[in-house]
Amino acid sequence: MSKDGSDNTEVPFYGKTPLLGNEAIAQAIVAAGCQVATAYPGTPSSEILPFVASTADRLGAAMAIEWGANEKVAFEMAVGASFAGARACVVMKQVGLNVAADSFMTAAYYRLKGGLMLVSADDPGPHSSQNEQDSRMFAMFAKVPCLDPSDAVEAGEMVYDAFALSEKHEIIVMLRPTTRVSHCRQAIEPVSSVKPGLPVKFERDVSRWVALPVTVKKNHPLHNLRIEEIREEFETSRYNYEVKGGGEAKLGVICSGVSFATLKDITRGRTDVDILRIGTPYPLPHKLVNSFIDRHEKVLVLEETYPVIETQLMNRERVSGRWDGVVPSAGELLPEVIEGIVLPLLHERPSAADSSELDAAMKELGIEPRKPQLCAGCPHRASYFAIRKAFPNGIAPSDIGCYSLAVNQNGIDSSLCMGASVTMSSGFHIAHAVSGQERPIIATLGDSTFFHMGIPGLVSAVYNRHSFVLCVLDNRVTAMTGGQSNPGLSGKVRKGDEGSAVSIEAVARGCGVKFVEAVDAYDVAAGADAVTRAWESAKANRTPAVVIFRHPCMLLRVPQSVVPVKVDAERCVGCRLCITNFGCPGLTFDAAKKKAEVDRRGCVSCGVCRVVCPRGAIVEAA
Amino acid sequence: MAGTQYIIVGVGGQGILFTSRVIARAAIDKGLPIIGSEVHGMAQRGGSVISHFKIGDFSSPLISEGHADVVMAFDQKEGIRNLPFLHEGGTFLVNVDDPSMLENVHLKRYIADRRIRVCGFRGFDILDEHAKGAYLFLNVLILGAAAGMKIEGCEEAPLTAALETLSPPKFLSENLKVFGLGLNAA
Ligand SMILES: Cc1ncc(C[n+]2csc(CCOP(=O)(O)OP(=O)(O)O)c2C)c(N)n1
Repeated sequence: MSKDGSDNTEVPFYGKTPLLGNEAIAQAIVAAGCQVATAYPGTPSSEILPFVASTADRLGAAMAIEWGANEKVAFEMAVGASFAGARACVVMKQVGLNVAADSFMTAAYYRLKGGLMLVSADDPGPHSSQNEQDSRMFAMFAKVPCLDPSDAVEAGEMVYDAFALSEKHEIIVMLRPTTRVSHCRQAIEPVSSVKPGLPVKFERDVSRWVALPVTVKKNHPLHNLRIEEIREEFETSRYNYEVKGGGEAKLGVICSGVSFATLKDITRGRTDVDILRIGTPYPLPHKLVNSFIDRHEKVLVLEETYPVIETQLMNRERVSGRWDGVVPSAGELLPEVIEGIVLPLLHERPSAADSSELDAAMKELGIEPRKPQLCAGCPHRASYFAIRKAFPNGIAPSDIGCYSLAVNQNGIDSSLCMGASVTMSSGFHIAHAVSGQERPIIATLGDSTFFHMGIPGLVSAVYNRHSFVLCVLDNRVTAMTGGQSNPGLSGKVRKGDEGSAVSIEAVARGCGVKFVEAVDAYDVAAGADAVTRAWESAKANRTPAVVIFRHPCMLLRVPQSVVPVKVDAERCVGCRLCITNFGCPGLTFDAAKKKAEVDRRGCVSCGVCRVVCPRGAIVEAA
Repeated sequence: MAGTQYIIVGVGGQGILFTSRVIARAAIDKGLPIIGSEVHGMAQRGGSVISHFKIGDFSSPLISEGHADVVMAFDQKEGIRNLPFLHEGGTFLVNVDDPSMLENVHLKRYIADRRIRVCGFRGFDILDEHAKGAYLFLNVLILGAAAGMKIEGCEEAPLTAALETLSPPKFLSENLKVFGLGLNAA
């Protein structure tokens, strides 16, 4: 995998190539003549921007391609570019749109100049997210048209239509892939040409570019009008069509997204199910939908993950979906789930093979799904060990990043959304302070998260005089999402672009933090000592203190000293402390011998675990 | 239904995605449509990973339980856990780590009842012996094994050609060598 998360940069381009949905979207962004592309990484959207960059490099496209420090930043960069006249797009995951919501809700009303496409990738399941929110609901909330692709090929095609629609109506258009579309792989022709960009020339016009109540009074009704025009256009959109069963239909299904593709595979060969595929869930083409409903005795709505089409239906009398509990209101609509919904409506029973023997086998063999975990040699593991060593009973608010996986090490007590480690530490502090209590609060967040949303909370905590320690786990990369750059590093996404690295220490000092120290995350003793002194300082001075645990992420493969280790069986008493508190894939426990062991398949010889055993049983192997 | 459906499972970090990319390239070179679903993101951090991959006339990237022709397992526990994806008479290609697991009576009964064809190979041992324990090559070894065991859609010549186009130059000769080891592991 390349450093920037796209694993396809070395793909030879000849004929059709197996591309991810995200790559199909990315190459179409370039080919459509987009001039400014911005993003903040987040699964399942992360591969888009790096592939925009590699495609732009391949085709020599004149484009600015940049990561913003967070989604609001990225969104507003794209809005500014559009005001200036450029064709722009901004890419994020669903929860990123919450961060950008303030700009999104208001930018929706504007008559934009350059086309502006928002890609907000949803994660039903969820597979890699802290919720299952449906961006289409957000599109409806903001009154922004939304395109909802069913596979990778279509996701790419929709990009061109999104820009065209945006430019025709001078409005933001949302493209909403889900994980199964973003990470769907299909054979796709690589793009070979780039459409010309738009002329960039900002023209001053206060009535157009400044959001004042007087302009909103004028623009909001106009915005409503264009939404009705778009609704009318969607009546004949090529993304909305019927797939007739061919026989007498016992069931009509309105569906969108990957549910449509799944339903098509499930009903292949049947003649008794008609499908109305909707690729434009907002604004909903009412005539098309009403006519389909009128022609069917029984109608089902399948969409992920919230009832967006369903909510817009004017009459739900003959319609089943989420409102009557026929479709589950949480989780992915996997093929099994759709079969379990559709077949009973056709008075058939889903066939399930008897798996009791397999269940018994798995029980006997102790087979369970494997949880994600910190990599062997991950610096975060060492940092948490140091922090817990210093403060076994401290409160440990944490954040969103690989370090969330330190739940396995009992390393963290809370996580909510990006940046909340800092602000919730303030909350923990004031709740205790107001009731006359004091407890050490040791917060953790990563370098990317610090720049994303950590700074306002830190400013607020300095201002309000909150005592806690903020540990920035600086692994020199945005790791969880596949290894993107961030403002703490000088690397940028497009080849040849050079950034200017922002120092975490300088930012912390600039926010007014007096105690700022950095340690090598592998040095557990130094880390524990720094955190101890930081808390003393925070307590005494009624202010936050910052400790930076620095060590490059293992996935960056930066060469480091190799320290092979072994477990001295004589000294190991089988207490399992190394397993429960450190939990490295390189250490296993032999239940029969009641001893810890180094698993050579997992161990990367970082040597950190030597400090973990209270009996000194983990030692350097000669 | 005309086509072949594969479930490829393992543990994050084992390089599963490369395997489906090679099979995909080979299928496309034969002029066949492909569609699949991969796992990127959190689960790649050492957790269970599953790729759905289909060759032929399909719309959805996902495979329903009971419909896969082949389960390819980089990790035997993950393989066993995902056996319900196989239809009766399907093929279980598995990197065998602990052979005693496959001797479990319940598992043997399940496999016999569903007439599952088990194709096991000792991937870690082979790589220890011939590739200095470079387990990252498991993804190519399993492809070789699939070709060696004559698994549908995994013929030796097209896979070799696909491997040649997709391998980064510095890994090409090692990849071809390991592919050969897989062929002979059958
Ligand atoms: C608002 C928002 N945007 C993006 C994401 C996706 N995301 C999850 S973790 C993460 C960043 C992690 O980077 P860092 O803080 O440096 O920690 P690391 O994973 O490197 O340890 C991102 C961007 C998210 N969860 N929420």
